[in-house]
Amino acid sequence: MQREVGTLPLAPALRARLAAAGFQTAQELLDTGPCGLSKEIGISREEALEALQVVRQECHGDAARMAGGSGATRRCTALELLEEEQTQGFIITFCSALDNILGGGVQLTKITEICGAPGVGKTQLCMQLAVDVQIPECFGGVAGEAVFIDTEGSFMVDRVVDIASACVQHCHLIAEAQQEEDHRKALETFSLENILSHIYYFRCRDYVELLAQVYLLPEFLSEHSKVRLVVIDGIAFPFRHDFEDLSLRTRLLNGLAQQLIIIANDHKSAVVLTNQMTTRIGQSQSTLVPALGESWGHAATVRLILHWDNSQRLATLYKSPSQKESTIAYHITSHGFRDVQPPAVTHSAEGTEMNPRKRPRTEQEKQ
Amino acid sequence: MVVLRAGLCPGLTEDMIQLLRANGIRTVVDFVSSDLEDVAQKCSLSYKALVAVRRVLLAQFSAFPANGADLYEELKSSTAILPTGSPSLDQLLDSGLYTGEVTELMGVPGTGKTQVCLAIAASVSLGLKQHVVFLDSTGGFTASRLYQMLRAQTEDEEEQAILGRLRLCFVPQLEALQRIQVVRVFSIYELLSALQELRDRLSQQVVSSMGPLKMVVLDSVSAVIYPLLGGRQSEGLALMMQLSRELKTLAREFSLAVVVTNQVTRDSSTGPLKPALGRSWSFVPSTRVLLEGKGATWQKGTTQRVASLAKSPRQPTGIQVELDIG
Repeated sequence: MQREVGTLPLAPALRARLAAAGFQTAQELLDTGPCGLSKEIGISREEALEALQVVRQECHGDAARMAGGSGATRRCTALELLEEEQTQGFIITFCSALDNILGGGVQLTKITEICGAPGVGKTQLCMQLAVDVQIPECFGGVAGEAVFIDTEGSFMVDRVVDIASACVQHCHLIAEAQQEEDHRKALETFSLENILSHIYYFRCRDYVELLAQVYLLPEFLSEHSKVRLVVIDGIAFPFRHDFEDLSLRTRLLNGLAQQLIIIANDHKSAVVLTNQMTTRIGQSQSTLVPALGESWGHAATVRLILHWDNSQRLATLYKSPSQKESTIAYHITSHGFRDVQPPAVTHSAEGTEMNPRKRPRTEQEKQ
Repeated sequence: MVVLRAGLCPGLTEDMIQLLRANGIRTVVDFVSSDLEDVAQKCSLSYKALVAVRRVLLAQFSAFPANGADLYEELKSSTAILPTGSPSLDQLLDSGLYTGEVTELMGVPGTGKTQVCLAIAASVSLGLKQHVVFLDSTGGFTASRLYQMLRAQTEDEEEQAILGRLRLCFVPQLEALQRIQVVRVFSIYELLSALQELRDRLSQQVVSSMGPLKMVVLDSVSAVIYPLLGGRQSEGLALMMQLSRELKTLAREFSLAVVVTNQVTRDSSTGPLKPALGRSWSFVPSTRVLLEGKGATWQKGTTQRVASLAKSPRQPTGIQVELDIG
């Protein structure tokens, strides 16, 4: 196991001392033993013991992996991944157009970022998802629980009650129409109190609390293994003002992104983040772009941008590993996120309103 | 800088080492660069023995010069050029990805770096029937999209239709999927240990599930290094250089093509785009390709992309081709 000393997860000062003393591979460290090590580099025996334990763990981990067990590494062939993906569920949003462009709904094990101007409906969508993740499997949901981390204070419980009651009613209608046994059984546990008690709410006031909460989340998730959705409403808010050191901000954000990806992968849950928009002033025009800079754009796997077009709300899928870029319209009603319901007659006319880039072909035909 | 130990070479005994250490000579470098007559006097060791030890140590630890003609012959026999599956990209890369080198793809978020990586992996696995290792650090690997690309790449549609009736049609694509191994690494230490494990497996030639490996794709390198760079700690730079050494050794020793994706940043909010990870990383890849969308903003959706060559040892930089990642 010729693992170089520079690649082992030890403290940097310790690594520097080991390099200065001439140790190159992990095997040499293990051969020297704790007493020899503490004499060579001038550290205490306890520190030498700890360092050797770390080295031994790494090397044993390597050996176990080499022997063929997949154990802790996440190694598999693309075929196995394909089978896994095909059996994975999606979290639906109750707006079928949005579900279509997302490829079925919000995907588990991926980070989805929702960007938008104020008031366009980001928090509404998050609350809708926190309710929808709990839909039982027989109705097409994933039957999971939700974690809601709020940094802006925009979580309104009364609104969640409205959305949840509408969802329960919808499921009742389906059950009555289809009259199946498992539907009725599932409905017994799918009630308003149940839904609300399975949304775990955390309030973080600044970036330190947010980082701490995210780093403590894996422990929480291993206790509550049914969680399938983690929502962070307002990831931009704590990082946008009062941050003098921008390189520190980039580092913290990237570390946060990696931690969220680990959470999404290990616990098979979807992570949904909301971001704000900022203006980029170009040479001749200014455009709205998602906040937190270029490097943050790489953190999310799927990016959804919500925007206005006159009085119509639109959603654009901007970045996705498997779906094409497209734009759809949606409505926010008292029941939550819903499709725009175009009446059949004027469908083509509304089509042109929704998509101003297209030539108004139907209007010409009418004329 | 290897520490002198007994048994490192035949003439080196434990007592010799103790005597040398008492005089401040602890590593091979110290030994080889010191004046042996002086050392022989101070440590009261035989000069002949010291010279013999030095000769053996030099033979063991120094690099041998190779002649240019031999190097060329070796390159001709061991380098392969892997077509990427997209003729315009091949044209940009001078007929394909060269093994033994690191190629980098960079771009703003959403320009399709992961898509191009998936397309290249699909083409190598399906067309050339070679194994590919895909190291995913962003969680962006979607097997269903890869499967879609594989289905699209199977050329003969008639054959597909006929075989489809016999239900044999999807077998080559499923085999191609089995040849692509995906490893999820989300931190720099996991990445380094995955690369180390790969190196061990290749050098011991464990044939079990790894057939002839020709390509390693790392998507993306900046995601794992960004949390460590900057500030007053130089540890991030050290780890980045360790990583670059591992990638280059893998590429050269085992004749693999290594493809890496990187981000781009701006100096200020309106400055020009430049590749991330700084100047130190810019020496690592031999070829760099920048991907851009044709429309500048997210308001116009399109699947057209423009790839331009930013650094290449063989072609003039600045060439641009158009790609369709649909």
